[in-house]
Amino acid sequence: MTHLPFILASYGLAAAMILAFALSAWRRAGLAKRRLAAVDPRGRDA
Amino acid sequence: MSGRMSRKRRRLIAVLAGLACLGGAVALVLTALNDNLTFFVAPSEIATKAPAPGRSFRIGGLVEGGSVSRTRVDGKPAASFRVTDGPGSVSVTYVGILPDLFREGQGVVAMGTLRPDGVFAASEVLAKHDETYMPKEVADALKKSGQWKPGS
Amino acid sequence: MAITLHRFANPGQFLRLSGRILPYLAVAGVVLTLVGLGWGLFFAPADYQQGDAVRIIYIHVPAAWLASGGYFGLALCSLLSLVWRHPLADLAAVEIGPVGAGCTALCLATGSLWGRPMWGTWWVWDARLTSMLVLLFLYLGHIALVRAFDSPERGYRAGAILALIGVVDLPVIKFSVEWWNTLHQPASIKFTSAPTVFSGMLWPLLISILGFSLGFAAIVVARLRAAVMERRTRGLLLARAQEAA
Repeated sequence: MTHLPFILASYGLAAAMILAFALSAWRRAGLAKRRLAAVDPRGRDA
Repeated sequence: MSGRMSRKRRRLIAVLAGLACLGGAVALVLTALNDNLTFFVAPSEIATKAPAPGRSFRIGGLVEGGSVSRTRVDGKPAASFRVTDGPGSVSVTYVGILPDLFREGQGVVAMGTLRPDGVFAASEVLAKHDETYMPKEVADALKKSGQWKPGS
Repeated sequence: MAITLHRFANPGQFLRLSGRILPYLAVAGVVLTLVGLGWGLFFAPADYQQGDAVRIIYIHVPAAWLASGGYFGLALCSLLSLVWRHPLADLAAVEIGPVGAGCTALCLATGSLWGRPMWGTWWVWDARLTSMLVLLFLYLGHIALVRAFDSPERGYRAGAILALIGVVDLPVIKFSVEWWNTLHQPASIKFTSAPTVFSGMLWPLLISILGFSLGFAAIVVARLRAAVMERRTRGLLLARAQEAA
C-alpha cells in the first residue's frame, strides 16, 4: 500500500474518536440510569 | 390560546428576520471580498487580477502537456513548465521537490511572483486534484476507448 | 407535583421511545461503518492518481458530511428551543455540540493527512478549508457558551443564538468550491448529476456515510437519554430538598 502512514493515522484517529464517544456515552447513560433509579425507584421507563 | 400562538409566531418572525439580515450582510461581505477569497488566479486573468510587481500571489491551471523540463539548480531538483487554463498560459520556474500528484495535464497551484520577463518564479508548487476517483484499469480503458476527458 | 409531571411528560415519552430504537440504531451504525471502512480499506481499488491515499476519503467524506449535518441539527434544535421552547431541544443542542465538533476535527485532520502527500501541504488557507475551520470554532464556541452561565436557561438561549448565526457558514462551506478558486476539489457526489467516483469506490463510501450517520445518531441519542435522566434526577432531588425544608 502506498502512503501507509497517512492511511493508518487517518483510520487510527477515526477509530479512537468513535470508541471514545461511544464508550463515554454508554458509561454516562448507565450512570444516569442508576442515579435516577436510586432517587426514584418507581421510574420504570428509563 | 391566541396570545401564546402569537408570541411564538412573533419569536419565529424575529429569528427569521435576524437570519435574513445576517445572510444578507454575509453575502455582501463575501461579494466585497471576492477577489481575496480566491485562492489563485488563472493564467488568463493575470493581466487583470495580478497584484503589483514583486507582490507574491498564486496562479492555478493545468500543467501543459510536454512542457515540463526537470533540471537541477545548485544540486537541488528544479523544474520549468507552462500552466494553462485554455485561453491563457504562463511559464513557471520552480526550485524544489514537486508533489506526488504533479503530472502533465493535471491541475497545479503555484505561489510566487511574476518576473518582469513574464515568467512566474514559484516558491511553492501544490498539486490540485480534480473530483474524479477511479482505479487505474478504468482510467486506462477510458483512455483506450477515446472517452477520456482530462480533469478541469 | 402536577406541574412537574407535566414538564417531564414529553421527555418521559422520549426515554421510552429512544430506549426501544437505540439498540437497532447502534448495531446498524457499527455494522455499516465496519463494512464501509473494511471494504474501503481492503477491497476497494486504489486510485489511478492518488494510489492508496484515496482510502482516506472513506473517513474524510463521512466526517465532513456529519460536521455540516450535525451543525444543521444543532441549528434546528436551537430554532425549536428559541421559538417553541421545546423541552428536549435545549438538551439535544448541548449533546450534539461535542460530537459534531469531533467530526469536524476528524474531517480537518484526515483532510490534512490526505493533503500532505497529495497536494504537497498539510494546510492552505483556501475558502473550503477556512470555512470548515470556522465551523469547528462555531462548535467550540457553542460548547463553551452553553456552559458559561450560572442559569442553564440563559446558556441555552445564548448558545441557540450563536448556533443560528453560525448557520450562514453551512452554504459557504458547501459552495466555496464553486464560488471561488480553491485548492480543494469540487464535490464528487451531487444531487444534480452523476457522481464522478468509480462505482467500486462509491459503494463503500456511501455505506460508510450511512454507517457514520447512524452511529452519530446513536451516540447523540444515548447522550440525550443520559442528559434527560440527569435532569430528572436533579429535579427530583431539588423537589425533595424543598419538601424537607
